[in-house]
Amino acid sequence: MFLEVKNLYKEFGGVVANAGVSFGLEKGEIIGLIGPNGAGKTTLFNCIAGYYKPTSGKVFFKDKDITGWPAHRTSRAGIGRTFQIIRMMERLTVEENVMVGAFCRISDREGARRNAQEILELVNLKEKANAYPTELPIATQKRIELARALAIEPELLTLDEIASGLNPLETIQIIDVLRRIHKEKNLTLLLTEHVMEFIMRISERIIVMSAGRKIAEGSPEEVARKEEVIKAYLGEKYAKGK
Amino acid sequence: MVLAAQIMASGILMGTIFGLIALGLTLIFGVMNIINFAHGEFLMIGMYSVFLISTFLSIEPLLSLPLVAVVGFLLGIISYYLLIRYLLRGPMIAQLFGTFGLMLFLRYLVMFILGPSPRVIQEGVLIGKTVSFSWFTFDLSQLVAAGSSILLFVLVSWMIERTKLGRALRATSIDAEAARYMGIDTEKMNALAWGIGGATAGIAGGLLVNFYYATPTIGMLFVMIAFATVALGGFGSVKGAFAAGLVIGLIMMVAGHYLSQIKLAFVYLAYFLVVVLRPRGLFGW
Amino acid sequence: MVGEMKAVVRILKDTFSFNDLPISERIAFAAFLVFVFFFPWIVHTAYARAVMIRFLLFAMYGLGWNLIGGYGGQVDLGQAKNVGFGAFATVLMISWWGIPFWITVPVGIIVAVAESFAIAYPMFRLRGHYFAIATLCVALVWQQLFLFWDWTGGARGVELSIRSTPNFTYMQFGAMGYHYFIFALFMAEFLFMNWFRKSKMSYELQAVRDNEDAAASLGINVTWTKVKTYLITAAMGAVGGSFYAVYHLYVDPRCVMQLDLSILIAMTAMVGGAGSVWGPIIGAAMLIPLDMYLGALLGGMGFYGIDFIIYALIIMVIAAREPRGIWGIIERARRRGHVLRG
Repeated sequence: MFLEVKNLYKEFGGVVANAGVSFGLEKGEIIGLIGPNGAGKTTLFNCIAGYYKPTSGKVFFKDKDITGWPAHRTSRAGIGRTFQIIRMMERLTVEENVMVGAFCRISDREGARRNAQEILELVNLKEKANAYPTELPIATQKRIELARALAIEPELLTLDEIASGLNPLETIQIIDVLRRIHKEKNLTLLLTEHVMEFIMRISERIIVMSAGRKIAEGSPEEVARKEEVIKAYLGEKYAKGK
Repeated sequence: MVLAAQIMASGILMGTIFGLIALGLTLIFGVMNIINFAHGEFLMIGMYSVFLISTFLSIEPLLSLPLVAVVGFLLGIISYYLLIRYLLRGPMIAQLFGTFGLMLFLRYLVMFILGPSPRVIQEGVLIGKTVSFSWFTFDLSQLVAAGSSILLFVLVSWMIERTKLGRALRATSIDAEAARYMGIDTEKMNALAWGIGGATAGIAGGLLVNFYYATPTIGMLFVMIAFATVALGGFGSVKGAFAAGLVIGLIMMVAGHYLSQIKLAFVYLAYFLVVVLRPRGLFGW
Repeated sequence: MVGEMKAVVRILKDTFSFNDLPISERIAFAAFLVFVFFFPWIVHTAYARAVMIRFLLFAMYGLGWNLIGGYGGQVDLGQAKNVGFGAFATVLMISWWGIPFWITVPVGIIVAVAESFAIAYPMFRLRGHYFAIATLCVALVWQQLFLFWDWTGGARGVELSIRSTPNFTYMQFGAMGYHYFIFALFMAEFLFMNWFRKSKMSYELQAVRDNEDAAASLGINVTWTKVKTYLITAAMGAVGGSFYAVYHLYVDPRCVMQLDLSILIAMTAMVGGAGSVWGPIIGAAMLIPLDMYLGALLGGMGFYGIDFIIYALIIMVIAAREPRGIWGIIERARRRGHVLRG
């Protein structure tokens, strides 16, 4: 298994955010993680990527035990991520932002710049290379974050609500970009999302979480019909797919 | 044994004054998350105000305190409206060097107007008198200063806990945005915090000048002690400032007795250790 | 073998090439260099030469500070301790054992770096104001210690005997000699900064400054990056201190490790523009002449402090309007010009 999460528990001073979550991914899959607010999706991401240390449980990546590894180590090992709230390096240009990622794999500035430009081309951002991220709209900034994460040449990319705040056209564009990088870079994608049209469309398999636990797993069609899933979302019926 | 008790008692006395100085600093931090590097200069201006009033108007230094409180209050409010208000919109680094600029400005303004030589109060009801009971002897001015500090602490604490204004201040320090939604004018609250900070620092200076000399650069010394106190007590905590003041006062007096040349080093070290090992301090959030 | 040679060539190119900068900056800097180089020939008054030397020294201090404070975004208010370590290492080794200057410099660097490394990890758990005050405290503790210790001269300080100039073992010269000496040191540090700003470390450092979590997601070890930078800044401060020792021929903790020096170094770089390679130079160019001319002039007449009043006003205005300093103002105006021109 490419990524395996075994019995992950994460507690914050009495509040249990993840209560024994287990699942696995194979290389090359596109997996969607959904669940109502507070289900523990971002906590799970943070535990896998190394921003939090799990209270107990294990995470295996490419058959290596990476439980509790700090964020910079999991990144070097091949797990890239984007953030729910965009985290831009505001005093660096778009190109420089992506170069920071490229520097993870290469030490020479010209090489890093070339890699960055290639990736910017891939996500259709080449013309914006010398702009500053804060001058650009949110949808564009999300693409910059994606480009930056790609620059570290990850094998697994975890995307935290990348479609949130995008209008339908932008959502289609990002699905297109993701499908392309999935194919061209042979990436495994793990996404979490609230925007249902987006995640149901792009994922091969869905995992559903609620109140810190995994409550369902399967193809998008199967999962949408499961009773537990509908019950978990019942109160969120009106918040579905902003 | 008696000596040890005397030293500790002196430490506690000075400690109440340190607590008073720290009070304004911790209040400002609690309400708007900014560290006032110019706080020592407010104190210094308090010292000079009392000095000038008592020397040139021949008013008893103790009686000039209310006037000094007003001066300090105005100084704080003016600083807020002319500078701090704009700094709050900027990044933390700008806030830092903005209040540094204020510190330098006030310090050198006083130096320019009044010169660098130290000033001492010569006449006053508290000067040069000592008080003894059982086996303790205290400088009267220190005793009065300590008593006044405690009084002010009680006053400010009462104001914060029991009055509507105090509630508004507390609301602003917990969540400024929410406070605004509830109709609280957070700008006025910020200015008020600065006013109280200026007033309490000014009064502390006015009390200190009865037994300590005033120079334009004295502010730095007291503000560093105040930082250590605020850190130990917990940034934002009023009762923390009081408790920590006592501890720092004790440390200073005890260290001062045995290793007087580097007694300050202990205070600075205390800050460093507190902030690295227990950033919340004793009572902070 | 070829790989290593290529790397060396690349480093040299990065250090000496300014081609990535706009032509206006290159011309301005060249003019500046010419002016500084020929200064002692044009101007003969001892005072003016002293001002220029002090300017170059502060520009150098600022360049070092700029690493942790500007590119790193961690406001360090304790740089004076590093200056002090360098100054004392030099002055003590020369006066006790007659050790040549150039051997004392690495010793000063080692002391500063070792001390900085020892406190770096605990200190970098702090951010923002807390970090700044902690650096202040550490520097003050050291100053108190040096004042207290007899073996380092205590409050009396340490003096160096005056030797006949020029003396290249102990670096004693006339005013012209010191001018070129500090100019050489300044250029060395400046060229280092020229290399640094293009290096991988500079990108990583700025990434950490702007957003630590994002930096970590890109494989950057945040704490180690900050620590590394802090060590380099310490080393650069120590070099400045070593110069100070042989220039003033007298070192005492009240002068060389004083809080005001730390604050000046930080303020100068911030006013000029922290995070850019020109900032510290601009900041020093503003403060030093202001201080040495206006301040000394009026101070002689009994009016103390006017230079700092003006400087403090400048600091407050810049903090409120353009935290990126004077260079930030210039850059903003330039970009607006670009946008207008389309």
